Amino acid sequence: MVIERRWKKWVYFYIPLTLFVIGTLFPFYWMFVTAIRPDAELYRSWRAATNTPFWTLQPTLDHFRDLLEKTTFPQWLWNTFFIACVSTVISLFCGLLAGYALARLKFPMAGMLGTSIFVTYLVPPTLLFIPLADIIRSFQLGNTPWALILTYPTFLIPFSTWLLMGYFKTIPKELEECARIDGATRFGAMIRIIFPIAVPGILSAGIFAFTLSWNEFIYALVFLSSPEKKTVPVGVVSELIRGDIYFWGQLMAGALLGSIPVALVYSFFVEYYVTGLTGSVKG
Amino acid sequence: MKKPIAGGSARVEVLAPPRTARRGGAGAWLENERLLAAMLLTPTVLLLGLFIAYPFVMGVWLALSNTSVGNVGEFVGLRNFYKAWNDSIFRTAFWNTTWYTAWATVFKLTLGMWLALLLNRSFRGKRIVRASMLLPFIVPTVLSTFAWRWMFDPTFSVLNWLLYRGGFITTKLPFLSDGAYGMWCAIAVNTWRGMPFFAITLLAGLQTINPDLHEAASLDGANGWHRFWNVTWPLLKPVTLVVVVFSIIQTFSDFQLIYVLTGGGPANSTHLIATYAYQVGVATGLLGEGAAISLFMLPVLFVVVWLQLRYLRRLEA
Amino acid sequence: MTTSTLNRRGFLQGSAAVIGLTAAGRAPAFAQGTKLHMVRWVDFIPEADVELKRQAPEASKALGAEVTFEFINANDLQPRITAAIQSGSGADIFQMLYNWPQLYANGLVDVSDVAEAVAKAQGGFYDAFPAACKVGGKWLAVPHSTGGNAVAWRKSWHAEIGITEFPKTMDAWREVGKKLKAKGKPVGQALGHSFGDPPTFAYPLLWSFGGAETDPSGKKVILNSKGTLESLKFMQAFWKDACDEGGLAWDDTNNNRAFHAGEISSTLNGASIYIVAKRQKDKIKDEKGEPLYLDIDHAAPLPAGPAGQAALYVPFQHAVMKHSRNVKLAKDLLTWLHQKENYGKWFEVNEGYSVGAAKAWEEHPMWARVDKPLQVFRRAARQTKMLGYQGPATAKATESYSKYIIVDMYAKAVQGGKAEDALKWAEAELKKIYEG
Repeated sequence: MVIERRWKKWVYFYIPLTLFVIGTLFPFYWMFVTAIRPDAELYRSWRAATNTPFWTLQPTLDHFRDLLEKTTFPQWLWNTFFIACVSTVISLFCGLLAGYALARLKFPMAGMLGTSIFVTYLVPPTLLFIPLADIIRSFQLGNTPWALILTYPTFLIPFSTWLLMGYFKTIPKELEECARIDGATRFGAMIRIIFPIAVPGILSAGIFAFTLSWNEFIYALVFLSSPEKKTVPVGVVSELIRGDIYFWGQLMAGALLGSIPVALVYSFFVEYYVTGLTGSVKG
Repeated sequence: MKKPIAGGSARVEVLAPPRTARRGGAGAWLENERLLAAMLLTPTVLLLGLFIAYPFVMGVWLALSNTSVGNVGEFVGLRNFYKAWNDSIFRTAFWNTTWYTAWATVFKLTLGMWLALLLNRSFRGKRIVRASMLLPFIVPTVLSTFAWRWMFDPTFSVLNWLLYRGGFITTKLPFLSDGAYGMWCAIAVNTWRGMPFFAITLLAGLQTINPDLHEAASLDGANGWHRFWNVTWPLLKPVTLVVVVFSIIQTFSDFQLIYVLTGGGPANSTHLIATYAYQVGVATGLLGEGAAISLFMLPVLFVVVWLQLRYLRRLEA
Repeated sequence: MTTSTLNRRGFLQGSAAVIGLTAAGRAPAFAQGTKLHMVRWVDFIPEADVELKRQAPEASKALGAEVTFEFINANDLQPRITAAIQSGSGADIFQMLYNWPQLYANGLVDVSDVAEAVAKAQGGFYDAFPAACKVGGKWLAVPHSTGGNAVAWRKSWHAEIGITEFPKTMDAWREVGKKLKAKGKPVGQALGHSFGDPPTFAYPLLWSFGGAETDPSGKKVILNSKGTLESLKFMQAFWKDACDEGGLAWDDTNNNRAFHAGEISSTLNGASIYIVAKRQKDKIKDEKGEPLYLDIDHAAPLPAGPAGQAALYVPFQHAVMKHSRNVKLAKDLLTWLHQKENYGKWFEVNEGYSVGAAKAWEEHPMWARVDKPLQVFRRAARQTKMLGYQGPATAKATESYSKYIIVDMYAKAVQGGKAEDALKWAEAELKKIYEG
């Protein structure tokens, strides 16, 4: 009986899990190997006998060095980080307030407003960015990070609102009632009682918003033009493909370095992320 | 309508929130639900109104005009929509988008659910595995898609090398040089990217399911599959539906992945609606036509979302 | 910003300049922070961009403003130009290719004064340029250079099958390619959506078989002709017999890398394959361990079809954008760049990859010094036709190019299916553009 069970465990659990891990992480391994592989090896014919695609015996840090010294990559990292942080703060602020209002308060048109906030999520950026370019120009925000900081919340707020709404709904109403019996205002109860409980949800929405901002491409592509103002995705795409040569080594180095900040944020908060989602999906 | 509060937590099932006696003074306006709601919703409404609603209206106007780069447009009615509908490339793009979204969602859901079930168990290294599983989702799409593009490279593909060495093929597979292959490659990359999101969200849902239910079911003689289908799945349906809705919206309007992976090629055979709209509107400068193409996405998304929300409401009722 | 604000600011700037001039006796110092932003493609010869970056501080000093160059992927130029024109902000000068000025005409400034001065000083522009840059008799861009192309081929591999001179006709090329493909060394041709290799092959192929988009009036689509059909059938056979079939996904970079890695035996390209191989001769070697560049030769123009030889080279020009706040300064920058010393240095670094837009550069002493395989590029610019042939190079021709209709016509044909279907599709698309 015991042996049969262990066999089952292997087939149904360990092997599939291993396959998932390999499948998910192989591209990162590939990025890493390419980033440390010298150029001569990168472009060898695929049929050459000496081809060792999965490892290299002459690792080099040239690509990383070139990336950091010869391009404005560090500046891009900072730009992206700054824009992502501020956008996240703005969308969390709006999402918190809106989520609470929609989850807890009764007012006319509540349903309609909730739906329309959600509906804005459906509008594709490829439609919006040309008219947005006009608006950005009228506010003279072209080629500044503020063009992005103000437009990113448009797709961050709907999801944050939904997430936090769900989370608020799971918080028992008695808590607020007790607070108000004790003399707190509705607004006070909201801030002092509800929000602290919702911290996992807030962290969860914040991490998600941060990731989405970090990942955004098309608005950054259209609204930013100077090399030193670019974000990592746009910079890597536009500056590391130089003419006839894709600098694959540098591209992959950039891809790795560009992912590290977000990965770090996640590694600190992933437990909160899961807990936060757990809370919101209960609702 | 003011009702004096009656009892305490015993009245928790009451639908309308209990209201305290109206307080006078400074706190009064914060008590008024409507005013509070208006105050709380103002930032959101302002931002979304200015940066979505208004540009949306302008976008619609663009679609109804013949604006091209540098030239002011005039109203031309539905001509751009008619032109797009008769454009064979657009029809290909529309079909591609549907195909891509459908298959990618199916794969992401299946694999995500499977992975969530696996991650729901306790094992050594669970935290690290969970965190690393999120990586594809965290890394910016353009960067990871570049890595995939390098893996599919027509001349230097490592996958071709693997298959060649394994004796499975003798000539290179045209990963990105063929329309059909290209779409499947895109679906694969999208699945790889999106599956973690499904997995983590479904995992969160799984963790809300009381393990006692599982025990009870297995005591009754249900095996793994039965337990899943009859206990787990019904409880997961709401979460699944929400995740699927968000995923469909994202995938259907996807731009970055195809833009980086194939650029819409070869010969426009892997275009999605978003990338084709970009090519027509921005690369060629025909802004009115590009806007019209983008607008075709909306009706489909509306219908999909509406159907799912209705189903969701029926489930909750 | 209103015009009156601009004028006031300009007046203040001007007065400050006058005061500054008299006080310091040197070049006018404009209000601090005047910047000139010029966007160009990432040159396929990296050293050319290095030279321009080197010239930037010199130009800044001469003009009294900060000159910055931004280099982006050539395929991103058009989207950037569209975004800039629509949002009314962005760089002051954009590089343009082919006959893009026709398409963006309403967003560009009249630069006839600069262009005509350069033409007079340097022996006149090649015919392709007025066609490309002049709209309504006015120059909307200043011609800068021409990107030539030729077939780069491996001498030793061709010698192995008895070929010492590159085939002069398309059919002969196909035969040679067939033999080499059988040895695992096919011809490489890009048919993807990229500005360089695909159109510079597809259009001349069409023309050399007698096909054309429109008649000389430019209003009637004559694509559906015997010549076009034969060119399609040739391409289908050529692709199967002689070409690397991955080429459908290739952009401008793939054939360079494939050639350097020893995967293909001949390919249409600019001079970059040779020049990069020469400049990196330690890294780029052939199977015997010798520097690869010694085994490369160029054949130009393309082999002839039944209707003769045809070629399409890439004209490069610079346009000043209407939304620029420093139009006069931008024009001055262009004039400065075209001064013989400055342009000459850039020209030399190119070693024939980009040749001049004006005829005087054919006689530059550099040509006496470059390697023999690069000599073919010397008079390249004389022979090119222009988009829109047989009609004039109008914005509609640019639209058809931007949509890659001709390139896609061939791509469709080689993917399987009948040549007639590809032709019908392309004809329908062209009719939508040219005939409304």
